[in-house]
Amino acid sequence: MVEARIPHSLQEALILMSQATYTIVNGATDLLVQKRSWSGTIPKFSQPPLYIRGLKELDYICERSGMLEIGATTSLETILHHPKTPKILQHIILTMASPAIRHQATLSGNIQNASPAGDSLVGLYLLDASIVLHNRHHERVISIQDFIVDVRKTMREADELITKVVLPIDKFSQCAYTKVGPRKTDAIAKVAFGGLIDIENDRIRDIRIAFGAVYKTVLRSRKIEESLMGKDRSAVPEMKHVLLEGYASLIQPIDDQRSNRWYRKTTALNLLEAFLDSISR
Amino acid sequence: MKFQPDIGTPIPRVDAKEKISGAAAYINDIDMPGMLYAKTLRSKMAHGKIIKRHYPTLPEGYAIIDYRHIPGTNIVKAIYEDWQIFPVDEVRYIGEPILLVVGENKDVIIDILEAIEITYEEMEPQFEWIDSVIHYHYEKKHGSRPFADANRIIEHTYETGYQEQAYIEPQGMIGYLDQDKMTLIGSIQCPYYVKNAVLMALGWENERVRVIQAHVGGAFGGKEEYPSLIACQLAMAVIQVNKPVKLIFEREEDIIASTKRHPAQIAMKAAIDSEGHIMALKVHVGIDAGAVIGLSGVVLSRAMIAATGAYTIENLDVTGDVYRTHSVPTGAFRGFGAPQMMFAIEMFMEHIARNLGKEPLAYRMAYVAKQYDLTATSGTFRDPILMQKMIEEAMKRSRYEEKALQYQNLHRYQGIGMSFFLHGCGFTGSGEATTIKAKVRLRREASGVVHILIAAVDMGQGVRTAMRKLVAHMLEVPIDQVIYDLPDTDCVPDSGPTVASRTMMIVGGLVARAAQRLGMEPQIAVEIEETYHQPSEIQWDEARMQGDAYPAYSWGVNVVEVAVDPVTGEVSVVGAWSVYDVGKAIDTLMVRGQADGGLAQGIAYGYLEVMRHHQGKIQQRNLTDYIIPTAADMPPMETYLFDNPYAYGPYGAKGVGELTLVGGAPAIAKAIEMAIKRQITKIPVTPEMIMELMTHGED
Ligand SMILES: Cc1cc2nc3c(=O)[nH]c(=O)nc-3n(C[C@H](O)[C@H](O)[C@H](O)COP(=O)(O)OP(=O)(O)OC[C@H]3O[C@@H](n4cnc5c(N)ncnc54)[C@H](O)[C@@H]3O)c2cc1C
Repeated sequence: MVEARIPHSLQEALILMSQATYTIVNGATDLLVQKRSWSGTIPKFSQPPLYIRGLKELDYICERSGMLEIGATTSLETILHHPKTPKILQHIILTMASPAIRHQATLSGNIQNASPAGDSLVGLYLLDASIVLHNRHHERVISIQDFIVDVRKTMREADELITKVVLPIDKFSQCAYTKVGPRKTDAIAKVAFGGLIDIENDRIRDIRIAFGAVYKTVLRSRKIEESLMGKDRSAVPEMKHVLLEGYASLIQPIDDQRSNRWYRKTTALNLLEAFLDSISR
Repeated sequence: MKFQPDIGTPIPRVDAKEKISGAAAYINDIDMPGMLYAKTLRSKMAHGKIIKRHYPTLPEGYAIIDYRHIPGTNIVKAIYEDWQIFPVDEVRYIGEPILLVVGENKDVIIDILEAIEITYEEMEPQFEWIDSVIHYHYEKKHGSRPFADANRIIEHTYETGYQEQAYIEPQGMIGYLDQDKMTLIGSIQCPYYVKNAVLMALGWENERVRVIQAHVGGAFGGKEEYPSLIACQLAMAVIQVNKPVKLIFEREEDIIASTKRHPAQIAMKAAIDSEGHIMALKVHVGIDAGAVIGLSGVVLSRAMIAATGAYTIENLDVTGDVYRTHSVPTGAFRGFGAPQMMFAIEMFMEHIARNLGKEPLAYRMAYVAKQYDLTATSGTFRDPILMQKMIEEAMKRSRYEEKALQYQNLHRYQGIGMSFFLHGCGFTGSGEATTIKAKVRLRREASGVVHILIAAVDMGQGVRTAMRKLVAHMLEVPIDQVIYDLPDTDCVPDSGPTVASRTMMIVGGLVARAAQRLGMEPQIAVEIEETYHQPSEIQWDEARMQGDAYPAYSWGVNVVEVAVDPVTGEVSVVGAWSVYDVGKAIDTLMVRGQADGGLAQGIAYGYLEVMRHHQGKIQQRNLTDYIIPTAADMPPMETYLFDNPYAYGPYGAKGVGELTLVGGAPAIAKAIEMAIKRQITKIPVTPEMIMELMTHGED
């Protein structure tokens, strides 16, 4: 018999998780869709559900030691409106779902769901976010890039809860984000592109480029980014061809009911090109 | 006479409060004592022979209902009678209902469904359009003979895809026995279609079947013929278990199994003389019926009759075929063949002009139909046609000329497109007089309260408000003195189905005549009946498709402005303007409601709504993948109405519901053509297609 639990504290949640394997239910905006069943019947969970969305101690967003910390049960809408939320993440959240869903959905849910089309992930990869996990005895911190290992696969152990996400405070002079969805709102990305750049005196101090929905996880190449570091912005046009080719060889989109491989790839590269053009301009 | 505002002056909807507050009972809100649930087992195969059925032993109180429980005919009564209630030994499409499992507990029902094993022998499915079941042909004047003398022949083929009605409320119904009367309450458009289908399936006499409409959460044609299938199945179940049974579709089930708009391929050929005039058109319309023909023949004929759209062309040769394939059946959908045809003819006229190096707008204008012109089927446009003025108005409001000039010459990925169109109101030809024979009644009680007794269904379009307003206005009584309950076949006569843009013009016309007689009746408590009579000048030869296909036409002009993102191929709709002649609006705000919704659905058909099947399996199976527009996708819409009263419509009203959909797709497709400077022959024009055209296409 599956027994649902509603813990009243993080401590209680972690103790429960040390005793049995639960399905963590946060905002449930992914889970209830995935577990949908004939209306009027109870969704079938193979493991008992553990409802954490009510845990107040994880519902926060604040600056601490020069970093932005976002608790696991904080809603996307709360994150959207916080003054310290990095621009890129604001842009992204605005393209996610609809306001009603955003009040319910969480960032930790989007991360653990680990969909190739999970929108926040593009921002988290660009910002080098860290994921903080707790079990009853330990805490560990993993970079988002290491945390997500494959389509719907993460490093989380069964007894671990994502407790917070840690981001650097925004320092980028320019940010670009485009989500290409089948309509203007409430839609799943066919392609997503994000770019961050920090320029001082025409010199590129930092540049980061990421693609969503064209690979099993978010695609980001530090090697290609490094080739641009320290360059003068005027050098970008002559590097463009090589950069485009570099990403073209990495992008591996799929054909599905929402779009096709050729379009996804072409559009991803077009978006990159537009971003590169905006640097030299 | 009291002062009365013009009939068109908007009033609040009579059911607004009930619906907004949640008080209105939709079918899934209704529960009955002892009620059981039913769920359908569906074919997973596009074409197969059923070799063996293994049914598990059923717990007490559970039942499996299949073809063996049909007391009458195993056919759903529709126009072409090939729709089986349950298959006997062959399945013909994925999603075809094979049986129902009925019982009290939904989880147990699921367990039973999972324990049922159907063994098939796979048969070759047919997805090519080769099995023509219905073929039609008609000609106008010299038919295709002028092609022999043509200076030039221009031809293009146009393709349109599926469209899903995407009503908010999925299909659903409850059946029960009231003494020995089979009673069905449902989310339906046509109470009498359901009743007649159940009568035939059961083989019972007329008095023993009763159909009642629940509040309907949208239909768009999807609840025209399809609910008859569910009703027949449910009736079998009710007889078997002798308890009320509820059958409600889940969204995905509804999408994979219920009817959608027919995909079409329309080949157009024009004979052009030495001055660039069109001498004749040759048109072939092919539509995909899926595995069941049903009313596809009527969809085909309505498309063919609309072959020249809002234009007059002297000579015509029009053929068409309904193809049967092993895919989901297609059926009724707002527009009924016209959206496919309007897209083809509107694009073709544009493309002829461009191929000839002529200015498209001026070229098209020269062919716009005028009063007393012969229609495509050699009937006569008897009533005034205001298109010239309407087009001018649309151009002025949208600043069409200025924008078109600018967008044509600049490569700024902006475009503006304009479509001209018409829509025939009511059933085709003599259908109203020979098949439907609409009957309406008004009953006045001693208290002065008047009951409107008709079978027309309010599915959100506002017909309950409009009819009550009409009668109240004519009798000069307050609207709350006029009652119009949800139709119940035991209480109302058969005024026909709620389809074909006929409800206000035809049914409302009869109601208005009855109201007029009632107004003159000295006795207070009295009942008045009116029956439809075809205006004598309307003549139609069904077999040859010649004569007046419709008693009247509504007309329209849509202008749509877009911006295309050259980086992603995404389209933004930035403006939409419409001008309509619907005779006379019984409520201008309700007409605007139809106009906004219809145009959104029409535009989306043109650029957004993608549905395809792969080997018979629908790929976009829920509203995450089947994309309909949100408010953010649609621009503010401006709508202008021209009065042009029709003699037999109430206060001059003609059809509204379908007209507002049919011009959207060509208008946006033309706008996108202008923006990307590529020729478009296929809808929906997706970003994928735009990117492909921009990369590889020709001007
Ligand atoms: C209508 C609609 C529109 C949507 N639009 C978008 C969109 O535009 N972009 C997008 O990316 N997504 C979209 N989604 C998906 C979803 O809303 C997001 O992924 C959301 O961020 C999930 O958060 P949640 O709290 O609801 O997750 P839940 O559904 O509660 O959980 C998701 C997964 O994460 C696990 N999990 C949740 N919290 C934790 C935790 N603290 N520790 C460990 N595991 C945890 C759960 O066990 C589950 O496996 C949409 C969903 C809907 C219903």
